[in-house]
Amino acid sequence: MKPSPLPPLAQPGYWLALAWLGLVAAVGLLAPWLPLPYPAAAPDLLHIATPPAWLGAGPAHYLGTDALGRDVLAGLVVGARRLLALSLPAVGLATLLGALAGATAGFWGNRLRVPLAAATGLLAAAWWGWSLPIYFIFILLIISTLLLIIIKWRRAAARQAALTVALPLDGLVMGATTLLGAVPRLILLVALAAGTPLAPAQLLGVLALLAWPEPARLVRAQMLRVRALPFLEAARASGLPEGRIWWHHALPHACRPLWAFTPLSLGGLIGLESALAFLGIGQAPDVVSWGSMLASVRQAPAAWWVAAGPGLALLLTLLSLQQIARFLAKKMA
Amino acid sequence: MRYLWLGGLLVLLLNACSTPTAKQAASPIHIRWAHDPETLDPLTLPNQSAIDAINLLHLSLLQVDYQRNAYAPALAQELPKAQLVGDSLTLIDYRLRPAATWDDGRPVLATDVAFTLKLIQCPGLPIENSRAQFSFIRQVRLDPADPRHFVLVCRGQGTEVLNASGDFSILPENPLDPAHTLRQLSLAALQDWPTARPPAPVVAALVRRYQRANLARQPEHLPGCGPYRLAAWETNQRLRFQRKAHWWADTLRPAPFVLQARPRQLVFVILPDDGAAVLALRRHELDVYAQIPARLFQQLQASKAAQQEFVFYTNSSYTMLMAGFNTQRPALHDRQTRQALSRLFDPAGLLAATQLGEGNRTVGLLPPSNPFYNDSLPLLAYAPAQAIALLRRAGWQRWPDGHWQRPGTAAPLALSLRYRTGDATHATVALQFQAAAMQVGIPVTLVPTENSVLTSSLQAGDFDLYISMLKGSPMGFNFAPILHSAAIGSGNLSRFGQPATDQLLMTLTTEGNERRKRLLLRRFQVMMQVEMPIVPLFFLPYRMAVSRQLRHVVASGLKPGYAATALSWATPGTLQPAPH
Amino acid sequence: MARWLLARLGRAALAAWGIASLVFLLSRLLPGGPEQAAQPEAGDLSRPVAGRQSAASQALTQQALRQRLGLAEPVFYVSRVAGPPVTWRWNGLHNQYHRWAAQVLRGNLGQSYRNGQPVTTLLAHAIAYSLPLAATAAGLAVAVALGLGLYLARTPHGWLPALVRTGLAALQVTPLFLLALVVVLLFANPDALNLLPDSMLDGEPATGLPALGYWLARAALPLLSLVLAVLPSLTLPLAAALHDEAALDYATTARAKGLTVKAMLWRHALPNALLPLLTTLTELLPTLVAGTVVVEVLFTIPGSGRLLAEAAAAHDYPLVIAGVLLTAAVRLLSLVLADVLYFLADPRLRPTA
Repeated sequence: MKPSPLPPLAQPGYWLALAWLGLVAAVGLLAPWLPLPYPAAAPDLLHIATPPAWLGAGPAHYLGTDALGRDVLAGLVVGARRLLALSLPAVGLATLLGALAGATAGFWGNRLRVPLAAATGLLAAAWWGWSLPIYFIFILLIISTLLLIIIKWRRAAARQAALTVALPLDGLVMGATTLLGAVPRLILLVALAAGTPLAPAQLLGVLALLAWPEPARLVRAQMLRVRALPFLEAARASGLPEGRIWWHHALPHACRPLWAFTPLSLGGLIGLESALAFLGIGQAPDVVSWGSMLASVRQAPAAWWVAAGPGLALLLTLLSLQQIARFLAKKMA
Repeated sequence: MRYLWLGGLLVLLLNACSTPTAKQAASPIHIRWAHDPETLDPLTLPNQSAIDAINLLHLSLLQVDYQRNAYAPALAQELPKAQLVGDSLTLIDYRLRPAATWDDGRPVLATDVAFTLKLIQCPGLPIENSRAQFSFIRQVRLDPADPRHFVLVCRGQGTEVLNASGDFSILPENPLDPAHTLRQLSLAALQDWPTARPPAPVVAALVRRYQRANLARQPEHLPGCGPYRLAAWETNQRLRFQRKAHWWADTLRPAPFVLQARPRQLVFVILPDDGAAVLALRRHELDVYAQIPARLFQQLQASKAAQQEFVFYTNSSYTMLMAGFNTQRPALHDRQTRQALSRLFDPAGLLAATQLGEGNRTVGLLPPSNPFYNDSLPLLAYAPAQAIALLRRAGWQRWPDGHWQRPGTAAPLALSLRYRTGDATHATVALQFQAAAMQVGIPVTLVPTENSVLTSSLQAGDFDLYISMLKGSPMGFNFAPILHSAAIGSGNLSRFGQPATDQLLMTLTTEGNERRKRLLLRRFQVMMQVEMPIVPLFFLPYRMAVSRQLRHVVASGLKPGYAATALSWATPGTLQPAPH
Repeated sequence: MARWLLARLGRAALAAWGIASLVFLLSRLLPGGPEQAAQPEAGDLSRPVAGRQSAASQALTQQALRQRLGLAEPVFYVSRVAGPPVTWRWNGLHNQYHRWAAQVLRGNLGQSYRNGQPVTTLLAHAIAYSLPLAATAAGLAVAVALGLGLYLARTPHGWLPALVRTGLAALQVTPLFLLALVVVLLFANPDALNLLPDSMLDGEPATGLPALGYWLARAALPLLSLVLAVLPSLTLPLAAALHDEAALDYATTARAKGLTVKAMLWRHALPNALLPLLTTLTELLPTLVAGTVVVEVLFTIPGSGRLLAEAAAAHDYPLVIAGVLLTAAVRLLSLVLADVLYFLADPRLRPTA
């Protein structure tokens, strides 16, 4: 893994990709100061769904307007800012969360043992948080005594060292992904937001929450395979602690599929974001994003220019991310 | 003009592969619906599709005549006679048509009407809304001498009471209650039945029978006296109605408009997406498409091929786009602030932007075509300078950084605007207002809200401004449901209400004298413009495309916008008879 | 293996039940219940409502509706009474959850709030449309993805693979509704190209070969939209995995033994690279029952996607919860299936408890 010098001409795709992402970043950061003929959110009532200026005699809507009369160019610029502030961090966060959850679930399965004290602590926290009645303590005591007896008896059978319970990690992670996948989006979003608009940080959280299952499943599947590879057996045989094996040896291998997948998930996330905006949960229409612009074609299907601009920008961003991911993956290998 | 038509016909004949062959009289007429009716229970009526479908299967005493946009007698022989009793009761005298019969040949009698009204009041049926709606009919007085004559004793006075007293489907007593068990209970007794008390045994038995009939899905279990029967219902796809071969009203001469039923088959195709519906129209899978969005309509009208195949209708409707204030909010409590903010809407620009200029601006709640429209009032217009002046007069002061604040109050003027999500027209209005308010220095937060949560939020008063549609009608002047102080928390979303206006609203509904009514309505419109609890933006147009081969097209400003039963194919008698 | 499978299935059933219970309880806490959805729209003066509906009478109407739907009972066995001091109340067996659970265990999923029809009938009718469509689309998409993935792995350089990659990326960023809209505007438009057969005469019984041909022609466009929509997320990870596998030692050995690139990829690399494909594929399985709203709306297919979306919008809980139960079950089953398939693809991945 030696750092190789990269002459620009040897890797044109990589440098082009970097250049495009740089441009998007620059536009996004400088958006408030760019001299735009029209604001992004205010509708131009006289020019609704007007084609771009270069297609015919029109005012200075260089890239046309959408079905609500908003300037497409201004939307692109403001959308770049939103991409930097929301979509890309959300993709990163979701991938990170998913990779960690999937890798833990795949590596340990349902057999990770935690001290019993942790379970008691959890119950105590529930008691405190929900202010359960006093007699609940007695019920709790009785249950834990029973549990202790059972565990002692089983421990005698299994001859285990410490007082532990098995944490069904795999079951929990898979159950959570199933829950998120099975509940209709509308119900889930209404439940999450209860009709009030979310603050940007909350929105980021919601997006990550909705998007993490897919990378989690991918990494879990790969981890099942990595777990059985010979070099891990060797690591175990040499007496390394499980946590170290997981972090240093298993995780990097299990995350291989993410290099190809993560750039693609940007597309899905943009769609999700516009679904949120549609429900009025994410952001009101005065916050323009590339996804919401793509979605607004629905109101005027003939206005192809509304989809073309953000679609192309999105495509270039996705291709750039793919290019960079492929390059990094090659470099890591 | 004639040559154009002939040319169109020539093109039609030449272009035979893409155009359908001439329609037979028995060919079904395909009409677009945006939604499935969900249930065809004749008393539930959850949406417009269900209302239209039920009107084919069952008849009411009075039905809307789309030619005149007024109620006309259907099962009733003539419009009822009303007699006012005291200051709160009306006696409404009906006589049923002697020719009217059920499918099994039995005559439609006053006992059927009484039965239907009692059925509506039975607890445990999925008709809570109808129950509340018709609770104003307190008693049915039958005439022992004439089984077709009866008098309804109604609470309330005015044209609404008269119209509403005849606006429900009449159901036959015999199939549902062959032993006439419900006759022993009076209507008032059913209405005043305490909720805690279990229902009477006869009522419980009737409710079970009604539920077992499963009319929601299988309306054919109950014979109606309407001209059609349901032949097929593929949920979320299409409904087919078949004309009864022999229908009692066929013998009426002359046939009243509301009792005309020309199409042999009516097929309602459910197409939720407007774009897909336009393409289906172009592919001749639809013959009637009403409520087309402005831009799609414009494209359709511009297409040469579509011009040859369809006739286009644009009607002014009674549906108004409006904005409303939460008048109970401290900042919006005084009328000058509301007047100021109303100047920040741009009705003319919005009409041009969202409806391509079709539709009518208005000064108040009445459309300009109404004879009682107050034409001496000025139309609302976008006037930011005036808004600033009005704000100053209302006691607001502009601070150097641009925001507005009243001396003595802590919070600057900032507004939240609620509207239904996913509606482009509403979103455009919201964005326009936000941009205009921003220029004046008032920050506006947009809160697009999901439909199922919107009504409860609005009724709870959780907003400063809202945008919505107001569905009016040309037939009455009862604005109490949206403006009376007793309706705060239900229909009165602006929470407006003063003793003086309450009284004016109540007088409006009952006033019979034409001259006094004109004066009152003009005063009402002036008052609305001064108080400005709601900002009328414009009345929407209804746009419709109908196949050129259809005759007797009646376009109306009332929903659904057409009279389906009046349509017929333009087939010359020389064509071959229909194969089936 | 059999014991493992049984344990997994049992756990999946339990998880599905837990998820449905959670959604059941959640649905009762959501703002705007069915009584809000059933309420006549505010601002409708066109149907003459004699006597204005006051807030009090509206509350009465809604109370009657809740009573009829069984929503007036307590939600769960215990309920938390807010306000200091917080107390907990035992509600006994007369609660909505108990009633629902007992019903479901007897195989009755309840009745739709909107029209009183049994949920089972409604769902079965809708799935009869969604299942064939989604299954065919998934099969086609996998076949095309395998072909494209192998092609991209075999020829990593050149302008055609680059074009394919770009095309797939473009498909990935296109939202499904836009994709379906473009398909409709291109292929079902008299102004462009109308591939759809003329609609059949109503009343004509749809039987025989012509009817089959008609339905196939009608299904072609929704199938095309669905296949195009899932193609990139199936193909690109597969191509990447194949590429990775082909660079490993065993692949070189296989090549050295004289296998062609194609044979090596097909016989050696593909079984190892299938994992991501299987995962993405099992991700698609739930849409067999959950449907795809956008495509169903645009092509007027009365499938389960539309049914469940409309139920969610109208707060028709029995239908929503039945949909959740079914989707969760299929999702969990597909996970079990995926694990079994991993095992079949690579016997070293012995499933563990």
